[in-house]
Amino acid sequence: MSEKSAARSSGATLKAEGGVAAALVGWLKEALEKKVFDALLIPVEVPAGDSFAYLLLQDPAILDKASPLPPVMPVQGGKAISRLTMRGNGSKRVAAVVRPCEARAAIELSKLKQAHLDDVCLITLDCPGVLPLSDYIGDPAAGAARFAEAAAEGDRSPMRPTCQMCNHFSLLGSDLHVGTLGADGTILIVPGSSKGERVLEGMGMPVDAALDDWSARVEEAEQAQTERRRQAHADLRETVAGAENLLDVFSSCINCHNCQRVCPVCYCRQCYFESAALKLPPENYLARAGRKGALRFSPDTLLFHIGRASHMALSCVSCGACEDACPMDIPVGQVFSLMADRAQEALGYVAGRSLEDALPLVDYEMDELHQVEQPYVEIYCKQEVQDA
Amino acid sequence: MPESLVISKGAEETTRELLRSLLESGKVSAVLALGRTGSGGEGVAYSLFTDPTAFEEGGAACPLFPFMPANAGGLLSRLTLQGPPSEPVAAVVKPCELRALIELVKLNQCSLDNILLISSTCSGVYPLDAGVDGALEEKLPGYWEAVKQGEVDEDVRPTCRACVNFVPENADITIALLGEADLDTQCTLHVNTEKGAAFVEGLEGASSSGELESEPVQRAVGQREAFREELFAGVEVGMQGLIRTFGRCIGCHACKTVCPICYCRLCYFDSQDAERSPEFYEGELQRKGGLRVPPNTVFFQLGRMAHMSVSCVGCGMCTDVCPADIPLSTLFSKVAASAQALFEYQPGREVTEEIPLRTFEQEELVQVAT
Amino acid sequence: MSEEREFEPRIIYFLCSWCGSGGSETAAAHHLQYPENVVPSRVNCTGALPAVHIVRPLIEGADGVVISGCHPGDCHYNDGNFRARRRVALVKSLLDTLGLEPERVWFRYVAHGEGQRFVDTATEFNDHIKKLGPNPLTTRSDT
Repeated sequence: MSEKSAARSSGATLKAEGGVAAALVGWLKEALEKKVFDALLIPVEVPAGDSFAYLLLQDPAILDKASPLPPVMPVQGGKAISRLTMRGNGSKRVAAVVRPCEARAAIELSKLKQAHLDDVCLITLDCPGVLPLSDYIGDPAAGAARFAEAAAEGDRSPMRPTCQMCNHFSLLGSDLHVGTLGADGTILIVPGSSKGERVLEGMGMPVDAALDDWSARVEEAEQAQTERRRQAHADLRETVAGAENLLDVFSSCINCHNCQRVCPVCYCRQCYFESAALKLPPENYLARAGRKGALRFSPDTLLFHIGRASHMALSCVSCGACEDACPMDIPVGQVFSLMADRAQEALGYVAGRSLEDALPLVDYEMDELHQVEQPYVEIYCKQEVQDA
Repeated sequence: MPESLVISKGAEETTRELLRSLLESGKVSAVLALGRTGSGGEGVAYSLFTDPTAFEEGGAACPLFPFMPANAGGLLSRLTLQGPPSEPVAAVVKPCELRALIELVKLNQCSLDNILLISSTCSGVYPLDAGVDGALEEKLPGYWEAVKQGEVDEDVRPTCRACVNFVPENADITIALLGEADLDTQCTLHVNTEKGAAFVEGLEGASSSGELESEPVQRAVGQREAFREELFAGVEVGMQGLIRTFGRCIGCHACKTVCPICYCRLCYFDSQDAERSPEFYEGELQRKGGLRVPPNTVFFQLGRMAHMSVSCVGCGMCTDVCPADIPLSTLFSKVAASAQALFEYQPGREVTEEIPLRTFEQEELVQVAT
Repeated sequence: MSEEREFEPRIIYFLCSWCGSGGSETAAAHHLQYPENVVPSRVNCTGALPAVHIVRPLIEGADGVVISGCHPGDCHYNDGNFRARRRVALVKSLLDTLGLEPERVWFRYVAHGEGQRFVDTATEFNDHIKKLGPNPLTTRSDT
C-alpha cells in the first residue's frame, strides 16, 4: 500500500469540528449547489429509521438524512453503481460516496462491463468496517452507538468478520479519498485522478496539505491488519480444509443462493447454478443417489460454492455482503475471502486495485505458471516402479 | 380399499420402519426425506435416500424433524421437471409443501406420477435460525409434547402458528401426529388413496376407521384461526406502511428463490425488462429529486404478490431467508388470503381445480367492471 | 488375505479435439494400452473447458481429473491452452485452499503424435491416484 501513498503527496483539507459526517455532508451539499457534480449516490436513512439505502439524488435537502459512513452495508455500493450505470452514463456527472471495498467492486464491475465509470466520481473514505446487518436491525439506535464508539477507538471487534481482517480500508485508487484516520478537527481530501482534481478545483480547494502524518498512520494500521488477516486466514483454513471439515462448514446450507444474489461481483442475470444446465432428468438424480446411498436435495451444494468461487474469486473484494445475507450463519464471506486472496495471489492480481489491471482470465502470458504443468521426464512404462 | 392402519410402535419408529421397508422391498427406488448432514449430523437437509439403512435407528434420516430447509414441493418439482421418475419415489412432506406441490403440478412444473406422497398432521416447523449449530435438539422434547396436546410450540414459524390447512387429505398416506396422546407407543397411518394402499400392503397393523379430523385437530383449527387474525391485524398497510416495511429490503430476491411457487427460471424482476436506463434515472431525478438505487424495491414485492399470491401456501420460507428480518410471510399470507377469498380458491386443495388466473366464467366478478 | 478389492480409481481424462485426441489416436495406431478405468472425455479445446467441469467430477465420484491439450504455441485456436493453464491454476488454488487435494488434477500437454506420452500420462496418473487413495468426497452424499 505504501506505493499508493507515495503516489499522492498532497491533498486538500476540510474543517470537521462538528464531526466528520456533518462536515462531509455540508461539503457535498455545497458541491451539488455549485454543480461540481450533477447528482450524488450516497446512503440515506430509510423512513422507518432501521436501515440505509443508496439514493441517487440532486435535491440537497435530502442530504439531511444522508450518511457517508453508515453503520451497515445493506446493499453493496458497487452493485448500486452497476445498476445505475449498466446501460451507460447519461448526461449527469454522478459522485458516488462509498466505502473502499464498494469502490473496488465498482472497478471490477467496470472491467466486467457491468458498470460505466466515465461520468462517475468515486469518493471513498477511511473505513472502520460495518456491523453485521442482523446486529443492527433489531435495535438501530444501540447499533449506531456501538458502531460510533468502535469506529472512534479503531476497534473492529463488533464489525463483520471480513471487516475485522480487512487491510484495504484506505484506498487511493478512487477519484477522491477522504482521509479521516486520526483526524483532529481537520480531514484530508486526496485526489486520486484528474477527475478528483477537477472536483477540488471546482470547490476552490488548494491541494497543498502534506499527507505524511495521515499516511504514516494508515500504513501502520494496514500493517497490523495485514498480519491480522494472515493469522485469521491461517486459522480459518484449519477449520475448513479437507472434505470432512468443508462439508461440516456447509452442512446447514439450504441452497438459497443469497450469497450469490447480494455479491456485487456476481452479475449474471441467470446464474449457471440455477440454469437448465443443472436441471436434469430424474434418472440423473436417482442414479447419483443410488451410487452414494443418498443425494442431498436440492443437489450440488458444494459445487455451487466452489463453482461460484471459480467464477468470481478473482474479482472478490472481501466485502462480506455474502456472510451478512446467509440465513444459516455460515462463514461464507470468510471462506470466500480466503479463497480469493490465494487465487488472486496465484495469478498475480489484486481485485479492484486499478482499472488498468486486466482481468486475469482475460489475459495470459506465454511464460508463466509452469508449476501448474505436470512435468514428463522419462518414458513412464520403462521407468522402474518404486514401491511406495 | 383405503383405510387406516394402527401400528403398535411410536410415530418416529413407524415412519422410519415404513420407509425402510419400502426401500428394502424395492417398492420404491428412493425416498425424499429430511436427513442429517455433516460429520456430526449438525445440519439438516432434504436428501434422496436409496440406502435403506439410513432409516434404521441411528441412521442419517430424520423424516419427521420439525424443520424446513427448503420447501419440498419445490424440490419435487426439481426432481420431476423433465418428467416422472421411471420407478416409484416416496416423499415425506409437510402439508404446505404438499399444497405447493399440487400448485406446481397445475403450473406444469411437476409430475405426480410414480411419486408416493406421505404427509402428516402438522404442528409447524422451527425458523431456520433455530437450526444453527444443532441448537434445535434441545427444543425437540417440548415440541413433541405440544404435538401430543394438539398444540403448537410458540417458537415455531409465525405462519405455522397461523396455519389452518395442516390436515393433508390428499396425501397418499397421512401420519396422524397432532393431538395423538399416545404418539410414543402407537401410530395411525391414514391411507387415503388406492396408490397408498398398494404401498402399505403387507405392513403389520390393526385396521381402523378413525377420522383424520379428530377432535384435537378441530380444536387446533380454531386456535390457529384466532392467532391468524391477530397476526394479520398487525400488518402495516397502505403505501406508507409498505415503504416502512420494505425500507430495509435489500432487493436480494432471496424470498423469491426459496418460494416454491416462484418457478420462473428468469424472474421478470431479474430480466432486462426490469433494468433501468440512464434516461429513466435522470427522469426520476427531475421528478422527485432523488431515487433509491437499485430501484423497484416495493415494485418487486407487489409484483411478486400479483404473480403468486393466488397460489401462496403460507409456508414461511420467505421470512426465514430474509437477511433484513422482514416478516414477509405474514404480509404475503394476508394478501394471499384476500386474493384467494376473492376467487373462492384454495391452493393445493385439489389438483383438478384450475388456478383462478388461468380460467374464467362468463358471469363473475361484476364488482370489478365499472 | 484382505477381502477388499484393490482400489480401482475412477479417472476422467479431458482431451482437446486436436492434439489431445490426436495423441490418443496415435496411441491406438501403435497398439499402445492404457488402464480401462481412465475414461476419456473430449472437449473442443482445453481453453473451452470450464473450471466448474473440473470440479464437478471430483464431487460426484471421480478420484482424479487429467487435462491434456496442445503444447504452448500449438493450440489450434491460438491461445486456448494458455487460458486453460490459468483456469487450471485457479482450480488448483481453490482446491488447495479448501484442502481438497489439488494433486488430483493434472495438466499436461500431449501433442498429436505423442501416443506414448498419452498412455504414459494415463498410466502414471492412475498409479498416482492409487497411491493417493479414494477421493473422500466420493462417498459423501451431503455434497
